[in-house]
Amino acid sequence: MTALQQDPGLPGLLSLLGHDAPAGDGPVVTVSLAAADLETAVRRLSAAPGARLADVFGSGGNPAIDGDPVIVRMVWGLDSDRRYLITESVIEGDRYPALSDIVPAAFAEECEIYEQFGIRPAGGKPLNRVALPPQAGPDFPRLGRAPAEQPADVHAPHVVGGQAFEFPFGPVRQAGVESLYYGLVTSGEEVVDLYLLTWHKHRGVEWRMRGRTPREALFQVERAEGLGAVGSGWAFAAATETALQVQPPDQALRTRAIALELERLYNHAAATAALCQSTGLAVGQAAAEIALERLLRLNAATFGHRYLFGVIDIGGTRSGPDAAALRRELPGAYGELRRAADALLGTNSFLDRLEATGILTPEAARRLGLVGPVARATGLAVDARADHPAEPYAGHPPVVATGEGGDVLARFRVMLAEAAESVRLIGDLLEAGAGPGRADLPDDVISRTGPSGNTGRTGLGWAESSRGEALAWVSLDDGGRITRARLRPASVRNWRGFDDACRSQNVFTDIPIIEASFWLTVAGTSR
Amino acid sequence: MALWFLRGLRRGVITTRYPARADDSATALPTPPAFRPEALTRELADRLCLVCPSWALTRNGDVLFFDAGACTACGRCREMAPEAVTTSGEFELAATNPAHLVKRIPLLGEGSS
Repeated sequence: MTALQQDPGLPGLLSLLGHDAPAGDGPVVTVSLAAADLETAVRRLSAAPGARLADVFGSGGNPAIDGDPVIVRMVWGLDSDRRYLITESVIEGDRYPALSDIVPAAFAEECEIYEQFGIRPAGGKPLNRVALPPQAGPDFPRLGRAPAEQPADVHAPHVVGGQAFEFPFGPVRQAGVESLYYGLVTSGEEVVDLYLLTWHKHRGVEWRMRGRTPREALFQVERAEGLGAVGSGWAFAAATETALQVQPPDQALRTRAIALELERLYNHAAATAALCQSTGLAVGQAAAEIALERLLRLNAATFGHRYLFGVIDIGGTRSGPDAAALRRELPGAYGELRRAADALLGTNSFLDRLEATGILTPEAARRLGLVGPVARATGLAVDARADHPAEPYAGHPPVVATGEGGDVLARFRVMLAEAAESVRLIGDLLEAGAGPGRADLPDDVISRTGPSGNTGRTGLGWAESSRGEALAWVSLDDGGRITRARLRPASVRNWRGFDDACRSQNVFTDIPIIEASFWLTVAGTSR
Repeated sequence: MALWFLRGLRRGVITTRYPARADDSATALPTPPAFRPEALTRELADRLCLVCPSWALTRNGDVLFFDAGACTACGRCREMAPEAVTTSGEFELAATNPAHLVKRIPLLGEGSS
């Protein structure tokens, strides 16, 4: 199959996969693919310019049921079509086609599926340890069957030769910073290679969600990545609402969007402070942290929680914003951030450290399926608010900020432009009317079946968090309890671009700057 | 760098005066629940224990145990039984012994024993 020159759209893609066009015009289309056809289908989808691999995950494989097969699902973002395509493949046995040979971005998920479900890609390639700790024996809680062998502890078998040596750093790095192990390969100053181990922070959140009602599980979803509580919570709530076929009231959706934009604002302020810290600009850091503290207090005054926990609910929101407090405090808090940013943009010693540091190309961002400000700084205009618009963003479309160059400075400028846009959106949404509200959840959800193309009570949800597209997928049993929940915060995708950015002609001291500009969480990726 | 020095001088000290003085933002924060024993029954206490997502509530006989160290002040208990649960307004929860954070609340509601 040669690469397609033009975006074939959903009907074209489905015909490539041997399926008819979907009956409805829903935003999510689910198709079944035989395991034998998986390799060909992935080859065709990855060659299509309009398809972006957004997630791969497993389900099923219950060790208590002999021969229970694992189902591998791939989520593709068909951004120009404004839809998501989910492919479902039942894998009999313990081997499936090596997807990462075709789509390199699928490697991390292949490793995770191996650790959690015990099935591996064909070909015998070495797989990394990405989620479970080394002491995870056969009885360790996991989503499916234990793998036959332990995964490798390193990124990949690599040779440290010549003058290069490996410099271990972490997982304990400094006070207040998440556990993360850096394997730095260096010849003295230049970063030759970098690999990360994130399993120290694994808490088995997806495993803990099984058997709970979505409302109970939402508590854990918000805490899987605390700095992304609204983004992850909205994605999960939307997935559940799709599964239950309920629609939140409009004013509650606007409340969610206000909380999401407030989350974006404080995260971008925090990233600015971290950039100052990493460049040794203590006064600039203090200025950005003043803005951050004011934004966190604004969150508390508006929603009763500094990190916006407890705003989202299944079917709507648990509270509405204090509109008076928001109107009164937001201009001052944002003005604080703006003044700090303007001063930073006039400080050459700061900008010199950001320019041409941690460069990512648009090709690399596309190949790795990166999202959020990291992707947009390379020039890719991927934004779930615009690409997959659901209310209230369909009625209040954001102006998507993109950058050029893909370096730290471009990411910083994109974040500042997004902060300004968030303030505008919050004003528009308040004007349109926001408040609390919850749709009635069906008491009898047992007999409900999904719309055409969906298989029963499953659902996909998404939100554009401050770090980029957050996805969630849920499957509910007849009693409304979770049988499988998949959380895919933006951190999961963007960490895979971090080592590429660090390798691009950078030295040791650039790494903290690059990490601050990515502003990812370990908690989100190792959940 | 002179720019930053002058900005710092102009901005002045902005750190909070807490604990010498109460902090304004504290009143906006969620705080753990306070319970009205006379409104609590065994049945209601069991429902509260079920609704708590962080296992801060347990019942033993006619006593409800509330672990303020496990509570995240999510407000679900207050939402479910506003007649028996209110907001404590207490946010200074530091203790030298974790056991001091566990409170015993007798169940004095009608039909509790």
